[in-house]
Amino acid sequence: MSEAHTGASPFADTVAVEDFSSHGSPTSPPTRRLMIAFTGSGSEYFRIWIVNVLLTLLTLGLYLPFAKVRRIKYFYANTLVDGEALSFHGRPWPMFRGFVLLLALMGAYGLASKFSPTAGLLAYLLLCALWPALWRAGMQFRLANTSWRGLRFGFAGDLRSAYLAFLPVYLPGIGLMLAQYFFLGDMNPATTPEAAAQIEASAKVYLAISGVCGLLMLGLAPWALACIKRYQHNGYHYAEEQTQLDTPTRRFYGLGLKVFLMGILPLVLTGVLAAVLLPMFKGRPEILPLVFIALFLSYLFFFAVSGPLFNARLQNLVWSNTRSPSLQFDSQLKARRLVILTFKNWLLTALTLSLYRPFAAVATARLRLESVSIDLQGDLDRWIARAGQGSSETAGEAAGDFFGFDMGW
Amino acid sequence: MDLPNSAASARLQAHFFDGRSARPQRVQAWVHEGQLHLQSEEDQSLRHFPLREVVWPERQRHGQRQAELPGGGLLSHHEARTWDDWAQASGLRDSLTVRWMQSWRYVALAFVLSIAVVAGLWAWGVPWAADKGVALIPPAVEQQIGDQALSWFDQKMLKPSKLARAQQDAIAERFAQALQKAQAKAMARDRGAKPWPAYQLHFRDAGEAMGPNAFALPGGNIVMTDALVQLLDKDSPQALVGILAHELGHVQHQHGMRMVLQAGMVGTLAGLVVGDFSALIAGVPTVMAQAAYSRDFERESDALARQLMLDADIQPRVMLDFFDRIEALRKKKGDRDSLPIAFASHPADAERKRFFGAP
Repeated sequence: MSEAHTGASPFADTVAVEDFSSHGSPTSPPTRRLMIAFTGSGSEYFRIWIVNVLLTLLTLGLYLPFAKVRRIKYFYANTLVDGEALSFHGRPWPMFRGFVLLLALMGAYGLASKFSPTAGLLAYLLLCALWPALWRAGMQFRLANTSWRGLRFGFAGDLRSAYLAFLPVYLPGIGLMLAQYFFLGDMNPATTPEAAAQIEASAKVYLAISGVCGLLMLGLAPWALACIKRYQHNGYHYAEEQTQLDTPTRRFYGLGLKVFLMGILPLVLTGVLAAVLLPMFKGRPEILPLVFIALFLSYLFFFAVSGPLFNARLQNLVWSNTRSPSLQFDSQLKARRLVILTFKNWLLTALTLSLYRPFAAVATARLRLESVSIDLQGDLDRWIARAGQGSSETAGEAAGDFFGFDMGW
Repeated sequence: MDLPNSAASARLQAHFFDGRSARPQRVQAWVHEGQLHLQSEEDQSLRHFPLREVVWPERQRHGQRQAELPGGGLLSHHEARTWDDWAQASGLRDSLTVRWMQSWRYVALAFVLSIAVVAGLWAWGVPWAADKGVALIPPAVEQQIGDQALSWFDQKMLKPSKLARAQQDAIAERFAQALQKAQAKAMARDRGAKPWPAYQLHFRDAGEAMGPNAFALPGGNIVMTDALVQLLDKDSPQALVGILAHELGHVQHQHGMRMVLQAGMVGTLAGLVVGDFSALIAGVPTVMAQAAYSRDFERESDALARQLMLDADIQPRVMLDFFDRIEALRKKKGDRDSLPIAFASHPADAERKRFFGAP
């Protein structure tokens, strides 16, 4: 990815690596590497988590925003960028209101689709129409409430671009929804053979359309991802710096293809295995459960490998190509390490009936954050806040669920 | 945090960020008379903030300490221990939640309580809430959901029945008569007995995939497959009545809607605990819940079916013939995956045979 940045010690959290050589001219300001360190502890987060879980259960979920503020504050206080922690300024009560609003929206959506196909379609379209705005509001809220060295971050992406970023996702999705509505919508149960034949015919049309839309969705997915990442990474700002992402869309296609091939391989093998094994044991029912377990395990393997592989490669692709006038980000996350860690996390979380979950969260955060570093040109002490720092809409916070370094939560 | 009333004033060396510049200023911090005082070590300038308006950090072992000051400033300290000692000496108190999280004993208590709450919700909370929730759903909505489910089955798995109209009508009539008889008996026994719920009987050809089967959908739609009729109608027609009575039990107790609600609630519950981690792991409890609650529902329906048969002067033992035939069919096919899907979530056949075979 960025070959200039190899050889950095991942543990030099507070030590700045002076590097004068990379910029020839003696008058240009020196480049300094800012390392990210994560100092959180699993056993400590376990204690925070279990109390949060209890309070959330007792309040039937209403404590969730308060638990979230405590969790984010803990993770931020332990995320040291160049030795100085991030801080989170979100207040629980505004987040609580946003949370309730979002809950109501989701509840209404869930109910509407159960009610009638028309109401479901309308609710879906409404949600589609609102989602990019909510997503953007979430990023604005999270970044406006994140600070480092006393200066707030911010998000500058505009509303129109948020909708444009979602276009490649929406187009096939809307096609699918419309096809479902018009070909499968208001149909009565088949009581006569003619009605059944008619249903079968329109089901075939629906199948064809949904197949095309599904393929389109798959084919456009890397482009959609590129649009979304570009929108996000072109909008972050801190002090007077605004980031930009320079990655051609074809690299997202390369990533998608690679992960798809690596992920599909075990799936194909599973299919072949199933085709060979199932007829072999047709007459021996006692072995069949074993075969199914084997098939299920290889299916799990597909998720265990392709998911983290994709996440690691995506983090590297996106962050290594993000920069601002004085900052150059770099991410050297080893996919192998994330795959192994994720597998271990899954296994232990399942074996301990979810008690390992806080340890898993801390370990994942450490691996992902510590593989990111930032090259800085200039003197941080001279950086000042940009004029007119942003708004804080809270409704999107719960919706967007955004964390600075693509933590996902 | 609770505020101190003493005039204690231990001093702490810390960093102050003014919110406009990224440059840290070295300051001395102390608490005096309800105010946090900061004195710059560079120009000796003084700042003070009311303690109530400062957002204090929570005490944990790890991480840095940052207090948010009114006006956008930030007081930062890298050593958690030093800060915590200073805060304590200055009379700043931890919140109840923080003290709880600091004690392993209370954490263990929280752990035990969490398990108790989850178990309680599973056993009583979720079924109780589903009861109340089902009562709130208007019958028209339930009917709509049931009709939609039926048309989904009609598109995906079912074909119109190949049975003669007369045979369908005869089965429906036999069941209706049994209901009438049982209703009269139940009313004589208990004047407040609930009337049978409205139901619609549908015959469908389900092919090999579903085999001999019957199931109830929300809103009173009961579906019976041709294969089931062919299996029983000639030799033990009363077993068909028993099966329909079982399905009517599902209708009576609104099991379809309750399952939707209960599985949804368990899914939400699991999401609260591990949801942000993995959708797959959060999905496991939902599947387990469906199977567990489903077995409870089957027992409930079996109980209703047995009582209904007794009231209609049908020996519940006729159901044994049905179980034997299903078992024989399963053995003949030689594998387990052709098990009728609706029965995979039923209690073990042996248990049900004992229940219906009991005198």
